[in-house]
Amino acid sequence: MTGRVIVITSGKGGVGKTTTSANIGSALAKNGHSVVLIDTDIGLRNLDLLLGLENRIVYTLVDVVEERCKLKQALVKDKKNPNLCLLAAAQTRDKSSVNAEQLKKITDKLKKDYDFILVDCPAGIEQGFQTAIAGASEAIVVTTPEMSAVRDADRIIGLLEAAEGIESYKLLINRVRPNMIKSNDMMSVEDVENILSCQKIGVIPEDSGIITSTNKGEPIVNNEKSLAGKAYINVARRINGEDVPFLDIDRPKDIVGKIKKFLSGLKKQGKEQ
Amino acid sequence: MEQFFNDNMYVIDLGEINSAPEIIFELSAVLDKEEARNKRICLKLGDVSLNQAQLLSIKSLINGIDSTLSSMETKSFDTEKVALSLGLIVSNVSNENTTEAQPAMPYKLAEEIKEEIKEETKEEEVIVEEEPIENSVESVIKDKEEQEIKEEIEPNKEESNGEIKSEPETTVQDELDVIFNSSYAQNTFLEIESTQREAEQKEELTDIIVPESEYTKEDIELEGFPTKYIKQTIRSGQVINYEGNVVIIGDCHPGCEITAFGDITVWGVLSGIAHAGAGGNQKARVRALKMNAIQLRIANCYSRRPDSLNSVYAEKTNSFTPEEARIINGEIVVFKIND
Repeated sequence: MTGRVIVITSGKGGVGKTTTSANIGSALAKNGHSVVLIDTDIGLRNLDLLLGLENRIVYTLVDVVEERCKLKQALVKDKKNPNLCLLAAAQTRDKSSVNAEQLKKITDKLKKDYDFILVDCPAGIEQGFQTAIAGASEAIVVTTPEMSAVRDADRIIGLLEAAEGIESYKLLINRVRPNMIKSNDMMSVEDVENILSCQKIGVIPEDSGIITSTNKGEPIVNNEKSLAGKAYINVARRINGEDVPFLDIDRPKDIVGKIKKFLSGLKKQGKEQ
Repeated sequence: MEQFFNDNMYVIDLGEINSAPEIIFELSAVLDKEEARNKRICLKLGDVSLNQAQLLSIKSLINGIDSTLSSMETKSFDTEKVALSLGLIVSNVSNENTTEAQPAMPYKLAEEIKEEIKEETKEEEVIVEEEPIENSVESVIKDKEEQEIKEEIEPNKEESNGEIKSEPETTVQDELDVIFNSSYAQNTFLEIESTQREAEQKEELTDIIVPESEYTKEDIELEGFPTKYIKQTIRSGQVINYEGNVVIIGDCHPGCEITAFGDITVWGVLSGIAHAGAGGNQKARVRALKMNAIQLRIANCYSRRPDSLNSVYAEKTNSFTPEEARIINGEIVVFKIND
């Protein structure tokens, strides 16, 4: 068995790399795949918090690299899903403690036993980024519909194209607000796609539930009511090769909104005729 | 695990759990619920045999939420004996009445067990003459137990009403105080002086708990360790590594790591990872004004924070309940030290 190694990166910080990693990982594991999440953000680890596994970490990525423990010992099993494992970053060290070769060795080893290895990349384009993409053959570039995030994503895509191992990369647009797009205050999904000339793999709507789920330590894909959760599940299915239509994220919550949407739909039809 | 309600009774059924740490874990999860507060709790246990320290920590867990442990059911004879020696009302599950809390145990049984315990303590008295302090603890407990059994005999009429008398106020505090020689309670917790005093108390404590015959090389080494004082807040990612005792005046935030060959004492909230006795010293302890550690490690033992506690950031309060963690029977047990 050869697993797929996917790096989740963005360049800019705070766009949702870690949230995306945790949720796609959980969604893939829910669908029955065996998944390892590797946190490479050494010194500023967060992935364990999002999964609620902080209290279970004994050995970290750095311990594996420095051979204080075996790889199997450092994998922390998820509370709910036994298919999902976490290889946490060390909190008390920095990015220089692991280099590209060492991470590649680890991902190559994990490939043999697991279907998916998701690497959560740190922000920036320095050593941490170079280390994280070393073992990966695919990449997901996370961005938000903001000028700064799009610019950084563009830079990252350039670096990914130059990198040797990366065979394909896809775009994930996070924190999209349909209301703001309508009032022309935010770039639309199509705009972002055009600017970056990159195929998208998912569009995640802004969801306040993400904050709650982060604080609780439970990925939002476990919440069936959440729209963002559904969007992440769809991304996971697309990664797996399924052809899933994109969610209609512009879904009004109240009745007034629904009627407005219906009327505007009629108007459009009238104009076309 | 099931819970039943019965007016002011709250029945917790842990009959299917077979190890002491799991029982404490499950129990703390149940006790987090609001409905368990201010109740008289009836605990149902299965085959698992608990020792005195474990029962005491269960009791203090329950007392911590303003409830009292009013009665117990167990299938294990050892647990029953220990519970009786702590003055708890125990009923044996063999009579299969599981859904209703049995307030009082059959009178004869109590007498029998009492006699057995008496015999045992007599034997111990003969053998263990070098342990005067241990003996005094036992005799205190024995006295209490005798009192309580007497009390049980007298209010038989009240019990026939179906009401359960809440047990007299001989709470864990008393017992803990006996164990800890109550010097902690008198501590005024004032300024730096008190840390010195604490160091003295530590010596006293080890004196009390470890009889001289069991005074090993490790203990002497522990006392001979140098001590490092740190007056700052330890933040995420910071590491303190010292081949001796560590005293921190300040909080330890989640994400920090404190490793010491000897004891770790935190004059503040401990929320990170603490590893005492890193050189393999089983007698090392971790103590803090508020114990909220993500992980506690002592020598080669490991325990983690229960998942039921939601936030790793402790609420800021003005009142603290100091706690101390140490190894008992190969497991890390956290004791509350009430004032």
